[in-house]
Amino acid sequence: MHPITPVVRGWAVIAVLLFVVGQQLAEGVEYADAVVDGVAQVWWIVVVLVVVLLAVIFGVSALAWRMTSYAVDDDAAHLRRGILFRQQRHARLDRLQAVDVRQPLLARLFGLAELTLEVAGGSDSGVVIGFLRLDDAKQLRAELLARAAGVKARRTDGRTVGVADGGTAGPSAAYATADGDAAPVTAELAEPAQEAPENLVYEVPPGRLVVSLLRLPAVWIALAVLVGLVVFVAATQAVGVLFSMLPVALGVGTFLFNRFAGEFGFRAAISPDGIRLRHGLLETRAQTIPPGRVQALELTQGLWWRGKDWWRITVNVAGYGSEDQNGTQNVLLPVGPRSEALAALWLVLPDLGADELTELLDEGLAGDSRTDRFFTTSPRRARLLDPLSWRRNGFAVADRALLLRGGRLTRRLSVVPHERTQSLGLEQGPWQRGRGLATFAVHSTPGPVTTRSHHLDAPDAVHLLSEQAVRARTARAHQVPERWMERVAPLARSRPTDGDAEETP
Amino acid sequence: MTHPAPGPADPFDPPGVTWDRVSPRLIPARLVVVGIWLGLPLVVTVLLAVLVTPWLWIATAALVVLLAWVGVLVPRQVRAIGYAERDDDLLIRSGILFRELVVVPYGRMQFVDVTAGPLDRRLNIAKVQLHTASASTDAEIPGLTPDEAERLRDRLTARGEARLAGL
Repeated sequence: MHPITPVVRGWAVIAVLLFVVGQQLAEGVEYADAVVDGVAQVWWIVVVLVVVLLAVIFGVSALAWRMTSYAVDDDAAHLRRGILFRQQRHARLDRLQAVDVRQPLLARLFGLAELTLEVAGGSDSGVVIGFLRLDDAKQLRAELLARAAGVKARRTDGRTVGVADGGTAGPSAAYATADGDAAPVTAELAEPAQEAPENLVYEVPPGRLVVSLLRLPAVWIALAVLVGLVVFVAATQAVGVLFSMLPVALGVGTFLFNRFAGEFGFRAAISPDGIRLRHGLLETRAQTIPPGRVQALELTQGLWWRGKDWWRITVNVAGYGSEDQNGTQNVLLPVGPRSEALAALWLVLPDLGADELTELLDEGLAGDSRTDRFFTTSPRRARLLDPLSWRRNGFAVADRALLLRGGRLTRRLSVVPHERTQSLGLEQGPWQRGRGLATFAVHSTPGPVTTRSHHLDAPDAVHLLSEQAVRARTARAHQVPERWMERVAPLARSRPTDGDAEETP
Repeated sequence: MTHPAPGPADPFDPPGVTWDRVSPRLIPARLVVVGIWLGLPLVVTVLLAVLVTPWLWIATAALVVLLAWVGVLVPRQVRAIGYAERDDDLLIRSGILFRELVVVPYGRMQFVDVTAGPLDRRLNIAKVQLHTASASTDAEIPGLTPDEAERLRDRLTARGEARLAGL
């Protein structure tokens, strides 16, 4: 790993310290004068303390860096770390869920990056390798993905496989590039795995992101409160009230800034390795989610995005969990018109398996029980329990996925592929029982996606439960193998222009 | 396996499923726990009512009513718990007022827990809990006899291996 790692890591610790101290100061502005006076008297002690603190932080970082090492072989990634408590971690590559290359601001200045292998094991189960030079990180990512895709396993068959020969990239060659006959590889994987070529599917311009953020209710509520406060202060001359609002304003500001910075310059592309997402203003993150690793996705549209027909898409990926507080890791599309949202949906599920796909999705996105053709909705009896959105609550079944619809003010459509269903649930409270209703739930891996459908007609819900159990089982039996490239490559060869080869049963 | 369309009957009683019941020894196990949680405040309120103010008898009465209600509820709750092993999945149902039914495919099981606290061991019961990759899967069967718990554990893991799938 790169020798500047301790500096970058140490700086991160200091930044957190500064942030905490800053927050304390912001909350205790009244005492700031006293603190400043106190500090002025004993300034040299403070200086010594700061120097010692810096020395300790960087010392520990340097030691941690010395004790960390990694290795990658055909089946697993190995990581060793820890100063007092040594830890060795082996992550099996066929269980790889996603690979992220993260570049915090300072690392970017040095041209470094940190690579995270996500495996499905709850929070803190990933393998974090860093910092590396950006090129090395990309190289490592390509190699990990190639091995996870089973390139090596095919090689032992005595066949030749090349990973993503860059020269063949074309507009429709997303999977065809896995065609390896052009690039023979010897037994030692002599040529390093190359970065798979990618095709840009959509990107989010900053202007749209800003407008979309300004249309969030939180901003309007904050603005209204602020205006009200200013009027109040102007009327009563009580300036002190303003300070009491400082933490709230800071909170909203932080939320908005994090969202803006996290989703700035969002680009999504498709490559043989899977979906590539790239975003970030200060800290950039490049995510690679291999095919079939998205467990569920959800399209949402807040009330004030409806005029522009903008949608936001979040996904559940095992291993991402919900550990990222800002949630930018789970975002597939921060904001985009319906056409882009559908393109994003296509990225994840190239084939939903429905004949009238457009009609089905339109109904899922904007329809309700008055116009339904595909969706089964809550009966009228549910009106009392859910007066607002009973017309929207409902489900539809496509050949490859289950669609759950809900929400009237904030519209919501969740899509769960059948083969990604974990378990199913049925719930009924006393009020629902009286009206013959039941709530149906699909259990997915941890993440932001809502996967339940409230207040369905009880027989409908029971029918769905038993049918869905069968469908999930059948779909699982046909599911894409862990080493997806073993499957993709021959298909791509036979149908070189087909972009969804990996989903073909 | 075919599922005939369910009639207007109980949605939590799919046709063709025979439910296994849990051991009735779960009733005393749960009652003891609830008794401790409600009994201690009860003693405290009685003491305070005697020593400080008679008004606290109201709180005592409320606690007694709650205790009586729990005493009626818990046996019914325990009797409502049922599980059924089907060919490809395990069904678990529970609850009277708020009812729940969970369907866990064997191929989706990541691991199985068997736990027994000190009280459970004394009463000779154990709890089997199934975990999938989803945190929201709430599949636990309390109050099994240790033999049954062991049998279920082995059977579940064997079936899980036979039908193992990725995520």
